[in-house]
Amino acid sequence: MESREHRLISGRGQYADDLDFPGMAHLVFVGSPHAHARIVRLDVAEAEAVPGVIRVITGADVVEHTHPLPVQANFTSPGWTWRLAEVYAMPADKVRWHGEPVAAVVAEDERTARIAADKIQVEYDPLPVVAGAEDALKPNAPKLYDDWPDNKQVHLKFDFGDPDAAFKEADRVITVSNREGRVTGLPIEGRGCVGHYDRGKGTLTMWGAFQTPYLQRHNIAAAMGLPEARVSINAVDIGGAFGLKIHAWKENVVALASKLTGRYVKWFEPQRDFIVTGPHQRDVSWQGEVAVKNDGTLLGLRATVTHDLGVESTQKGIAALSIFPACSSPCNMYRWKGMHIEGIGAVTNKSFYCAYRGYGKDKGIKFIEAVINRVARELNMTPEAIRFKNFIQPDEFPFKAINNYVLDNGDYPGTLNRALEMVDVDKWRAEQEKGRAGGRHIGIGIVTSIEPAGVAVPNCQMGGLTQARVAICPDGTVEVDSDRTEIGQGSEISHVNIVSGILGCKKEDVYVRPVTSETIGQGPLSSRGAVWPASAVAKAAKQLRAKVDRFAASMFDATVDDIRIADGVIGCGKDTEKQLTFAEFANKAFFFPGPRRLPKEVLLEHEQLLSVTTTWYSPSTPESGSSYTTFCTSADIAVVEVDTETGVTKILKYAHVHDAGTVISKKVIDGQIHGGIVQGIGEALMEELKYDRNGQLLNTSFAEYLIPTAVEAPVIEIAHLVTPSPFSETGAKGMGEAPIIGSKAVILTAVEDALSPFGILVEDSPASPERVRAWVNGSKGDEQ
Amino acid sequence: MKITVHYTINSKACDLEVDAGETLLEALRNRLKLTSVHRSCEEGECGACTVLLNGEPVNSCLMLAAAADGADILTTEGLMRGDQRHPIMDAFVDLHGMQCGFCTPGLLMTGYSLVRKANGGDLDEATIRQSIEGNLCRCTGYMNIVKAIQEAKRRKDAGDWW
Amino acid sequence: MNQFIGSRALPDLVYHRPGTMDDLLGLVKGIEGEYRVVAGCTDFIPAIRGGKWRFADGINVVDIRGVKALSGIREEKGEIVMGAATRLSDILVSPVIREKAPVLADAVSQMASPQVRNTATVGGNLCMASPAADTAPPLLVLDAKVAWRTADGEETTPLNKFFLGPGATVLPPRSVLTEIRFPAPGPDEAARRTRMGQRTAFVCSIISVAVWLRGGPEKIEAARIAMGAVAPTPILITAAESVLIGKKPNEATLAEAAKTAASNIAPIDDLRATADYRKSLAETLTRRLLAACVGDLA
Repeated sequence: MESREHRLISGRGQYADDLDFPGMAHLVFVGSPHAHARIVRLDVAEAEAVPGVIRVITGADVVEHTHPLPVQANFTSPGWTWRLAEVYAMPADKVRWHGEPVAAVVAEDERTARIAADKIQVEYDPLPVVAGAEDALKPNAPKLYDDWPDNKQVHLKFDFGDPDAAFKEADRVITVSNREGRVTGLPIEGRGCVGHYDRGKGTLTMWGAFQTPYLQRHNIAAAMGLPEARVSINAVDIGGAFGLKIHAWKENVVALASKLTGRYVKWFEPQRDFIVTGPHQRDVSWQGEVAVKNDGTLLGLRATVTHDLGVESTQKGIAALSIFPACSSPCNMYRWKGMHIEGIGAVTNKSFYCAYRGYGKDKGIKFIEAVINRVARELNMTPEAIRFKNFIQPDEFPFKAINNYVLDNGDYPGTLNRALEMVDVDKWRAEQEKGRAGGRHIGIGIVTSIEPAGVAVPNCQMGGLTQARVAICPDGTVEVDSDRTEIGQGSEISHVNIVSGILGCKKEDVYVRPVTSETIGQGPLSSRGAVWPASAVAKAAKQLRAKVDRFAASMFDATVDDIRIADGVIGCGKDTEKQLTFAEFANKAFFFPGPRRLPKEVLLEHEQLLSVTTTWYSPSTPESGSSYTTFCTSADIAVVEVDTETGVTKILKYAHVHDAGTVISKKVIDGQIHGGIVQGIGEALMEELKYDRNGQLLNTSFAEYLIPTAVEAPVIEIAHLVTPSPFSETGAKGMGEAPIIGSKAVILTAVEDALSPFGILVEDSPASPERVRAWVNGSKGDEQ
Repeated sequence: MKITVHYTINSKACDLEVDAGETLLEALRNRLKLTSVHRSCEEGECGACTVLLNGEPVNSCLMLAAAADGADILTTEGLMRGDQRHPIMDAFVDLHGMQCGFCTPGLLMTGYSLVRKANGGDLDEATIRQSIEGNLCRCTGYMNIVKAIQEAKRRKDAGDWW
Repeated sequence: MNQFIGSRALPDLVYHRPGTMDDLLGLVKGIEGEYRVVAGCTDFIPAIRGGKWRFADGINVVDIRGVKALSGIREEKGEIVMGAATRLSDILVSPVIREKAPVLADAVSQMASPQVRNTATVGGNLCMASPAADTAPPLLVLDAKVAWRTADGEETTPLNKFFLGPGATVLPPRSVLTEIRFPAPGPDEAARRTRMGQRTAFVCSIISVAVWLRGGPEKIEAARIAMGAVAPTPILITAAESVLIGKKPNEATLAEAAKTAASNIAPIDDLRATADYRKSLAETLTRRLLAACVGDLA
């Protein structure tokens, strides 16, 4: 069967922009130039007069014909703040960020729609702008949402373990802070879809870059006021997602446009639109103190992390949800006595916050890893020594951490040891010493992390939904359905490997079908692909294998123990006469001699078809409440050289050790590592969305919002450890976010190490050349 | 204003009527249905729409269709021989130089042009990286793309090329 | 305030592609209504897409790349002459440039991307008159002149007098930039350039610096320093020349010259960098380039 790789490499992929239907119309959005303003007047007459324009959809149309965007996560607890604003896919009365769509033009072709978009007249009455979290939380700050008492959307407070005891026991308490800039995930393909509302049937069908079709169907149906059963969402080839394509937002306007015009309507988002109209992530600051013993024992942490969430997320509650992992992840992989963490989220006049690779886990780990390296320096320990002292040990699993995570297993010291074998840090330290004498500034960064993967939390749509189906067709080919869309992260290869491995069929006979809303599940997010969907697929494949064994035993007049399957051939013991290909076997099972020749028990059990649909749920979560199921382990070591006169950081060496449990596909894992590391390097050194005081986003294109090119990306060396997880069906652990978590942290700590002669603490990112130069200039004169 | 242009596209001659305000990208995608040529930034910053114009990589979004009149244009579709993959495509598949696949056709064109012109031994890493600096990729970290291009050169040197 | 639209449509154009210089000049002389002379279009299209430029339907676009005489690089009477429509990628591979003015090839090698360099032209880079135009600093230190023609004649001016401000040049209406020429550097001359961006590759310069020296290890006889992105136009900074001329190029002299150069610019804060950072880079990069040139002379 033709593989996805073959299809895509030969230029025959079908991405959202390639969708074409008879009579298809095109939709283009018009956004607000103001960050905060009342819409006084919106005049579409001139736009509608452009030949080829079918109609203009305004915010007023959206409010009239659709419902407010549905709530996706809702947490209330005594002492916590959790607010949600009522928002529509487009506003009728007020805009709250630069770029917020206020109208959409539907025309016969995209060019006409773009021309007409420029002719829409909007009169705005500007309002005071809330330009950042700090401003937002000031008393008397202008409010974004009139019915809220202030701009605080979220305030969570966690006591993990016994923080007071931890601080009482401390030899020293060190004050720490950290900040990171606002970024966006920016896959190279923007969002896009085609919607078709069938007026005869009352059904809505959509095709496009949908990362989570099942949830997107629920949310689009809710906003459109349609019965969910009459809505179908279909993922096509997706040009990268990283969490940025889980939306049910502008998609509603596309659906409405189809409903109002009766046409297939296509929308494909140019990159500039994708950057300006979010989603965005990070933009947090930490303030806190850490309690340690003089021998390097980590005891406790008290910290507050403040998020600039932008406006209410179009995925209501999902932005705020990322504050949970941000607050929990500082425990990382160490034994702690106690922590008190508060997570605050403020709304501001910036584009909204949503999922991006890392989703808060990165923030907590980046923070704590910087803190630990700082503690090590104060105690005159090496970064590796302090970690070895505090790691949870291999014989302690499953380990119930103070933050309620149940850590499945791993070899934390072994992972770091392996990385230390790859990079001779002592040699580099000698080099560093030597270099400093000559004005060269080399830095060595060491970071270790676990990645909490596969989210399942109550009170939100990320509750742990997953379903899979594996079936053998009458011609012997195998089809696989799951909720795990292929966003470039290797869903298809992984599922082919899992299914062919379990069934014994040929890899090329397995077809992983495009994901639609017919399969229940959250889709691939929170690195859950290798945990939840892969487990469901493996479980279904195992059940199907049992059926195959049973059927074959009946056909061969043998017992199931005699059945051997390999490379697409089903055999019986050592009897070479008794062999069936999958095609022969399936044909027998379905048609000739057909079901009535199957054992009567099979027929009575209604188990006569070679198709298994099943679901999977984390075995560790129900009792413990652990939000995550697997915890892959990684160690990153980076060596950088900083030109202190220009501020430029050059990466001299990068090594990454990974333990993702059972390896389903090494090339997929390595690919995830490479890509994630380079994204993390982007965050560490160059990526930052810059808003001015008026809420104008200043860097709105690839030319201004810089992501790494091949020139800045380093050579990455990788090694693997394999500690299979007891909690997933295959032993694999989710790992998609780990590389971005470790790399961002390790580059920054390496830069700090390089700058240590200046006494500089790298407490802000990105460590752009200008920022590094400013730190050097601001340090106490020359090198100390 | 309508203009008739003549291209040799993927080795086939073609006459096409285009708008003067139409980019080569739009003509290739919308009129010729060559959808391997991907649209992303439309401002020459990402390289997803890279095609070879007279053997050299250009951003088709930055060129008027009219200005390409008379050109020999090659897209990813044109690298195929029937259903047979070009050796550089094999190298990308074998070395996992593709994840989401969206930037891939552009990278294939840039990589193909580089390998085709390269003589001597292995292509060095720095040369490859500089040559693909105009093709942004967010999935792969470029590691396996660089390796795939190196491998393509080896295959070319071994006679596996067209 | 322009409303935000991700990517704007190009207007309906009237496209002209004259095949000879005479046709080109005649066309430009007689054209009615708004027009733009274009070559690679690598600035023209993004400027429209991003809403920086707006044109009504029917704007005339005069594509000069049909005129063969406007492309190519040659050496003529001790001068290197480049046609205005010479593509950046042609400069990069030109044996004449690589041998006689590697500083220009070096600058071009870091401009935009290979794809852009395969269509963008040197004349386009200069005529757009971006303060950050990366061909300008090396051409300024090489003492380049630019020539333009109208239907009525030809004029030449030093590149130093060409730029008036961001996007503005001395080019008169209905003229076409035809050539860039500069004296071929002799064996006792050395030129170097560098730039800084927010990342290494494919990025707009936050500063670019070029320096040129004539002389030897004992004495500098002549010097030029030029910078981009530190003023409304690329500029020659003459203040530092006197610090160098007649001096032995030791570390202190070079440092003083660099300091003088940096103190004679008045850059601005913008999206890409602050004025302070630009000044700091100006000094560092100038000092390093001077040292490298002195090394070349030795």
